[in-house]
Amino acid sequence: MCLHSVIVPMQLIKLNLQPDTKGSYVEVLERFVNLGPIVDFCVVDLERQGQGQVVTCSGAYKDGSLRVVRNGIGINEQASVELQGIKGMWSLRSSTDDPFDTFLVVSFISETRILAMNLEDELEETEIEGFNSQVQTLFCHDAVYNQLVQVTSSSVRLVSSISRELRNEWHAPSGYSVNVATANATQVLLATGGGHLVYLEIGDGTLTEVKHAQLEYEISCLDINPIGENSNYSHLAAVGMWTDISVRIFSLPELNLITKEQLGGEIIPRSVLLCSFEGTSYLLCALGDGHLLNFQVNMSNGELTDRKKVSLGTQPITLRTFSSKNTTHVFASSDRPTVIYSSNKKLLYSNVNLKEVGHMCPFNSAAFPDSLAIAKEGELTIGTIDDIQKLHIRTIPLGEHARRICHQEQSRTFAICCLKNQSSADESEMHFIRLLDDQTLECISTYPLDTFEYGCSILSCSFSDDTNVYYCVGTAYVLPEENEPTKGRILVFIVEDGKLQLIAEKETKGAVYSLNAFNGKLLAAINQKIQLYKWMLREDGSREIQTECGHHGHILALYVKTRGDFIVVGDLMKSISLLIYKHEEGAIEERARDYNANWMSAVEILDDDTYLGAENNFNLFTVRKNSEGATDEERGRLEVIGEYHLGEFVNRFRHGSLVMRLPDSEVGQIQTVIFGTVNGAIGVIASLPHDQYVFLEKLQSNLRKVIKGVGGLSHEQWRSFNNEKRTAEAKNFLDGDLIESFLDLSRGKMEEVSKGMGVSVEELSKRVEELTRLH
Amino acid sequence: MWKDIGDREMGKIRPNSFSSRIKSNRISNLQLSNNKDIVSPHRGSINSLQVDLTEGRYLLSGASDASAAVFDIQRATNYEGDGLIAKHKCLFSVDKQHQKGHKYAISSAIWYPVDTGLFVTGSYDHHIKVWDTNTTQVVMNFKMPGKVYRTAMSTLATSHMLIAAGTEDVQVRLCDISSGAFAHTLSGHRVYMVYKVPVIMYYMVFMVADGVMTVEWSTSSEWVLITGGCDGAIRFWDIRRAGCFLVLDQSQSQLGQRPPVLARSAANKVSVSKSLSAGQNLLVKSRVPQKKYANGHGMKQSTIARMPSKGSARQRLHPGMLSIQDRATAHYGAVTGLKVTDDGMYLLSAGSDSRIKLWDLESGYNTLVNFGKVRLQASKAIQLAVSQDSAQVFVPCMAVVKAFDVWSGKMSLTFRGHYESVNCCWFSSQDQELYTGGNDRQILVWSPSKTITDDTNGRQAKDEDSWSD
Repeated sequence: MCLHSVIVPMQLIKLNLQPDTKGSYVEVLERFVNLGPIVDFCVVDLERQGQGQVVTCSGAYKDGSLRVVRNGIGINEQASVELQGIKGMWSLRSSTDDPFDTFLVVSFISETRILAMNLEDELEETEIEGFNSQVQTLFCHDAVYNQLVQVTSSSVRLVSSISRELRNEWHAPSGYSVNVATANATQVLLATGGGHLVYLEIGDGTLTEVKHAQLEYEISCLDINPIGENSNYSHLAAVGMWTDISVRIFSLPELNLITKEQLGGEIIPRSVLLCSFEGTSYLLCALGDGHLLNFQVNMSNGELTDRKKVSLGTQPITLRTFSSKNTTHVFASSDRPTVIYSSNKKLLYSNVNLKEVGHMCPFNSAAFPDSLAIAKEGELTIGTIDDIQKLHIRTIPLGEHARRICHQEQSRTFAICCLKNQSSADESEMHFIRLLDDQTLECISTYPLDTFEYGCSILSCSFSDDTNVYYCVGTAYVLPEENEPTKGRILVFIVEDGKLQLIAEKETKGAVYSLNAFNGKLLAAINQKIQLYKWMLREDGSREIQTECGHHGHILALYVKTRGDFIVVGDLMKSISLLIYKHEEGAIEERARDYNANWMSAVEILDDDTYLGAENNFNLFTVRKNSEGATDEERGRLEVIGEYHLGEFVNRFRHGSLVMRLPDSEVGQIQTVIFGTVNGAIGVIASLPHDQYVFLEKLQSNLRKVIKGVGGLSHEQWRSFNNEKRTAEAKNFLDGDLIESFLDLSRGKMEEVSKGMGVSVEELSKRVEELTRLH
Repeated sequence: MWKDIGDREMGKIRPNSFSSRIKSNRISNLQLSNNKDIVSPHRGSINSLQVDLTEGRYLLSGASDASAAVFDIQRATNYEGDGLIAKHKCLFSVDKQHQKGHKYAISSAIWYPVDTGLFVTGSYDHHIKVWDTNTTQVVMNFKMPGKVYRTAMSTLATSHMLIAAGTEDVQVRLCDISSGAFAHTLSGHRVYMVYKVPVIMYYMVFMVADGVMTVEWSTSSEWVLITGGCDGAIRFWDIRRAGCFLVLDQSQSQLGQRPPVLARSAANKVSVSKSLSAGQNLLVKSRVPQKKYANGHGMKQSTIARMPSKGSARQRLHPGMLSIQDRATAHYGAVTGLKVTDDGMYLLSAGSDSRIKLWDLESGYNTLVNFGKVRLQASKAIQLAVSQDSAQVFVPCMAVVKAFDVWSGKMSLTFRGHYESVNCCWFSSQDQELYTGGNDRQILVWSPSKTITDDTNGRQAKDEDSWSD
């Protein structure tokens, strides 16, 4: 039971009292992807965007697979054309009833081009006679009665989508040009210089100027996206202003000012959007510096409430709605494109895995259904978008059990240690080293290991005085009569023409549990010994591995990490010890040790002085090197500084992050470590600066009072470090999930917490939202 | 171990069964350590060994030359043989030269259970001394009526700081560290030897002994003390009350091990069929603890206290039980060693009759586990050790130490290495290492055998053992 729930994808099932048509009482309600057991993983940046993806070794035996876990939403490119200087894009339909878009209007600084799908499903330049293609288009939209609207700086043109001829035109007053404009199926709202706001209504072949208003400042952005009951007509208009930096809500058609909200600061709003998610109406307002404000809009009186501010990027943002799977989402184009969506009445921001995006418009053509047209860096791309959710998991079934993985950037490959069961009998296992292409994840080369030989560690590294990059593999001979392997090998491979070539090998006196690159040399953990090997050039030009020095004194050195001259060893049962390599003597010595009896399952180096460990009783702990200790005894002791009950068995820690780092933001400086567990959980541990820790710790203790656990179980007790010998309250660790649940609280509870903290709800939300950007 | 690590990684075995599996595997592979040497500074037989209970790092030894020493067993002082053999020299020792040191043999040296700041030594010079570890000064001195055989402190105690002392005198004394005075005197043990030989040299004492050889606190109640006297009796005391409340009787017996709580219903049938009357008793008794759990604190104690209350006559007994019961014996001859299992459910005793007995503390019955023919030192207290999961008991049997399976009594390992009789052993459950001390003045380390990474060095180290100094 336990084994199967670990290995097989999870399903939420319902037991019915009556059998269904197939005679089954079991109904599968939901399927969950299970990543467990995550035996190993690596963090790679395949797209070289500064955003990591996690590739895990999951599953077991014939169900083994690699899983690519990615944060954010991907765009699957369908077609792209090179186009420089796109200033705006809109998709148009050939008739009002047509379910698909036909035209794609692309606006440039001094012209407008129209692309359309031809019969071969190719995107081809075409013309709409009624449009003015000699100037930049400010806005386009489908209108009722099979019409199209084009707004340019001088006029609004109403064109028949059937005959493609101009049916009506509204000219801007002389001396004024249209600066910004927006439209929906029946309405056009535009602003000319001097703060003039003009409201037009579209009829069958008519354009009527209904209202005109003079505002005190210039207008920077407009929106009349209909969010009321009538999907063609909006009763509200949102207007962003220069000079006083405000956003205003006007009623339509009267153009009466309903609400004025000062945004504060000196950055003007660049894009406003009225939209509704899950029945709640929002006003989104994007600023020129990459910040986004959102308000809830009261549809009856136009009031703005619940102001929130988040930072999406550093460049001006353009907002656009699009729909995917019949749900409306908002795409924010900027240097860090983001999809805004809502879940459980909470706005969520999920980044899109693209670099800078200038403009986006939905383009739902017959050939590319549910696609988006995206203008980025001199090209126009049409692509479909992933499901709108935070994490995306791709499964690459292997049909065999992968146990170790590592990535080599230079050869753009992954190497895995895997085993294949020949038959159902357990004994006839075959072990391989496989080379996979990092884009397709297809196996391109295989190196079979000997009979009884297991691959137990893998590393990509280079050696001093050698420019090549190698894959090093540590193995063990597991003989049936032996309790403990007494023989193993270190194999060094180079990737040539997509093939694994064995360059050197070295026999070891035990299982090579871990391999690390160390000062241009190779550091191996072999049973209870840490052994350093150097890479030597033989006289005939071939290479070999030579023993340099070693260190004894472990029960089993299972997990090893290195940094500079320091070696951190996680022992089977003797916690963490710190070794140092002495260059002068060419020897490895023990510097300090944690004397607690922790049975380790993973270690990682957080910084020069702090090391992180995970142990057998599902706890995490951190230890610190005490270099300033007064006595040898103090210096020789790793001081335990943090303890926490994770409740998961951690198999591996790796440095890295699943999110894109913004170099200038505060959270961008925070180091994160990703862990993978037996149950298939992936988590992030972030090292917070002290003042932030103090603040969040206070928030956590206040949240504990407000949020009650299921069944009244105490959070504090659950997170307490706990092993056979003792239980101690968690220290220097915070539960990020608990802290982030602040955002899900009702307003009343938030205020309760805020009162306890002495900090405003807005400030708290901002700090917590900042934290959510870490993952 | 190799396979288990892979299985743990995949979630095929639970981490706790992983660790217990590896521990028991390591225990079954104990042998004289080829990479760890304790350099004994003692010039007399080692009588007592204990690793501290807080960090599992400092080994305290007491020897017949009136010296006590502390070793760091986690960090070696220096390495020999190419860094393969770790030498552990003592951090400090106190002996006769110390101005307040003991004059005669130290028979017992124990750590203060709460931290390593204090330790307690008991000596044949009639004194118990409490030492400050950091300054190595005597901070307290208790004058006893005779030679001190054994001292013990409760590992559970939160409300008292009592040293229980078994001495030449038949009365057991409790010395209170917090006040520096005797808190109690527990009378009950009888004079076994009616005559006394005048003692000239301290080691001659072993020839004839009298009084209480061994004391042990319960591991389930901080109030319960167990003492084994030269009169062959094992007595249980609730130190809050006068008199002893239970005397173990070797003729009261039950067969086999009480089944574990979970598997009890199934296993009960077996024991019933096996032993008719005893098995039925067992069924009745087994309900007692379940009821008592509701009381929470101190429940173990009360269970034990109720044990003799089978008949109404017995219940009256306490204090001053019926003389027949009061005269019950656990061993023919002196009780020389006592050890309670870590769960507090069983007691192992060794006697000068060369017998080891396993007692069920819930019923107070002798379980009749046959530990076979062993030869035990008759005239001197011996220190037994049990492994953490109570599967193995380590018993000094003259010059060797034997490991027995606690439940079957089957001998599993023999540790040969000492040249003379072994007096004491201590099992470190943290490292799965056994420390033994004997009359040959050596402290030997027995550790799980290691797979040898360097053949040549390893062999040498194996041949060269701890007596070559």
